[in-house]
Amino acid sequence: MIKIKNLHAEIDGTEILKGLNLTIGNGEVHAIMGPNGAGKSTLSYVLSGRDGYEVTDGTATLDGENILDMSPDERAAAGLFLAFQYPVEIPGVQMTTFLKTALNAVRKARGEDELDAIGLLKLMKGTCKKLGISDHMMKRAVNVGFSGGEKKRNEVLQMAMLEPKFAVLDETDSGLDIDALKIVADGVNALRAQDRSFLVITHYQRLLDYIKPDKVHVLAKGQIVKSGGPELALELEEKGYAEFAQEEAA
Amino acid sequence: MSAIAKFQPRYRNDNAALALKEQAVLQPSSAEWVNALRLRAVASLNETGLPTQKLERWKYTNLPAKLKKMDLTYKDADITLSGMTDYAYSFPKGFSGFPSFAQEMIEQTPPSNEKYGDMMLWQAGNAYLKDGFIVDVPADTKRNSKAVKALEVTYTGHDGAQTSVRQIIRVAENAEFTLIEYQLGAGSYWNNVVTQIELGQGATFKHYRFQENSDAAVITQNTHVMMAGNAEYEAFTITTGANLSRNQVHVDINGEHSVARLNGVNMLDGKELADTTITVEHHAPHCRSFQNYRTVVDEIATSVFQGKIHVHKPAQKTDGYQMAKSLLLSGQATVNTKPELEIYADDVKCSHGATTGRLDDDALFYMQSRGIPEAQARNLLIEAFVNEVVEEVTHDDVKEQATHIISQWLHNLSSDDGEEAQWLE
Ligand SMILES: Nc1ncnc2c1ncn2[C@@H]1O[C@H](COP(=O)(O)OP(=O)(O)O)[C@@H](O)[C@H]1O
Ligand SMILES: [Mg+2]
Repeated sequence: MIKIKNLHAEIDGTEILKGLNLTIGNGEVHAIMGPNGAGKSTLSYVLSGRDGYEVTDGTATLDGENILDMSPDERAAAGLFLAFQYPVEIPGVQMTTFLKTALNAVRKARGEDELDAIGLLKLMKGTCKKLGISDHMMKRAVNVGFSGGEKKRNEVLQMAMLEPKFAVLDETDSGLDIDALKIVADGVNALRAQDRSFLVITHYQRLLDYIKPDKVHVLAKGQIVKSGGPELALELEEKGYAEFAQEEAA
Repeated sequence: MSAIAKFQPRYRNDNAALALKEQAVLQPSSAEWVNALRLRAVASLNETGLPTQKLERWKYTNLPAKLKKMDLTYKDADITLSGMTDYAYSFPKGFSGFPSFAQEMIEQTPPSNEKYGDMMLWQAGNAYLKDGFIVDVPADTKRNSKAVKALEVTYTGHDGAQTSVRQIIRVAENAEFTLIEYQLGAGSYWNNVVTQIELGQGATFKHYRFQENSDAAVITQNTHVMMAGNAEYEAFTITTGANLSRNQVHVDINGEHSVARLNGVNMLDGKELADTTITVEHHAPHCRSFQNYRTVVDEIATSVFQGKIHVHKPAQKTDGYQMAKSLLLSGQATVNTKPELEIYADDVKCSHGATTGRLDDDALFYMQSRGIPEAQARNLLIEAFVNEVVEEVTHDDVKEQATHIISQWLHNLSSDDGEEAQWLE
């Protein structure tokens, strides 16, 4: 269970998140929608501990543990995963090296046995197969030369291997055609589980046709301004965010 | 093309004494040419002194200042030859029966002396001519397996010692040879090495240097490579030690269709300074040369890279490439890079580039968000950076050793974290 209470955060002294509250139960999928610049990516970075995002008030706990005090890698070990809106290219670092290092760091921190090269390869191949991802991506450097769709699939693959308790997907649909979107959504759906919750950040309702949320929230002006069921997404699709933008202007 | 002023020995330089104070301890050789060469070198050094920062190619590296702070006594060099020693032998005592080809090489004018007038360390090598070895690989000497056995030469520096070494290497027509040099040692010492390499038509020579000197040492390398046609020279130098290192290489490509690769990795910390100064002169058409360096500088270390591709008028269809990339790990580290092209032929392809940067924060955060601790993430990025050059090494053993040295260096980098920096004192 993830509990975010009264979260305030700033970038360069400008407050972006202004008292955000959100609770996601185990196994639940919540969606956050909102206009551009609302603070959606900021929320994902604050949760994952990126430098330059300063939390000035509030708490965020994952199964009772305050993650805001942890370094980004400790948060990953504690079970947080962020699928990036723009996955980063890392020239010269091979996917297999990257995955092995990440997985073993997390396993070590969780008190599990580390995997050898063969164990990792098996796990990787199995996971790729399960998610319908071609494993030729594994022979390349991290995200280098990957198409937009491949980058997002790579995020899902990493998520599957790291087995988080709580995954944040930041605009995973951006830049994807419908086929790529389906593959990614199928991957996410395959990972839905009793002990895993998701926060799906998106600007468009489209993604939510494939990843069915339990709840939908609207983020505007750094706060959750409206919450509802899946029907809220349809409503937003019809009306747009004008209502919230107007509030902002007022 | 800007004209380069010729060096004029306007002033007598008393820092010659730093290099020469013990030259007189050398016993006269039974070979008159050796005595004469030494005397000429002493006279030359007395006139010019050691290279000061007033000289174009010594602008960033203050050797006399460093030597002044050291208390050195001339000693026999501690050299061990191992591995493929079939074609190698130490200089005979008193130079008796010294091969005439080697004598001719030693008596040559130092390369680029006329242009820069800064070959004082070469002269110092001549002044102390005594220790050294010859590698003479006969024509058509070939290995058929990929695991070519290399000649290994290990230099061990001892505290307080000033040593001087000459390496004479001749690889004749269509022969192949591999040399691996190791520079090790403890304490404060200075090893001045002059290396002359002559590659015959179709010869291949792989030349690797591991410079893991003690962090109080000075190592000065003066290397001259002369290549005939269809020859291949592959050099890879990794420097992880020495308070001051100067790796100066001059390549003359004299025959057509030859290829020279001069690659290297420098990993510097503390107060280390590593200076790489390369000149590749293309005298013949249809040749290729590559200079590819990666440098990582931490703490208050300094890196100097001066690389030059000089294409003479007859050297049409030259393909020249030079890339020097540096990674700064600290705000106080310094990188001086000076890439230079001097081209007099009109149909050539030459490029050079230099970058200096820091670790990519986005990549670091991405890796951390996958659970990789910061130090480990940083090391992966540094490894990827230097591997761009390590991967070009065609000798598997050398590649493996270099990889090991790099990971060792990174391991020390991680364990230094959080400790009080010693170099601050
Ligand atoms: N690095 C930054 N420096 C300053 N302002 C930023 C930075 N990143 C984002 N912002 C600002 O924070 C606000 C929220 O941005 P973001 O979280 O990316 O919105 P969203 O993802 O909802 O489109 C915007 O007004 C944006 O301009
Ligand atoms: Mg965003």
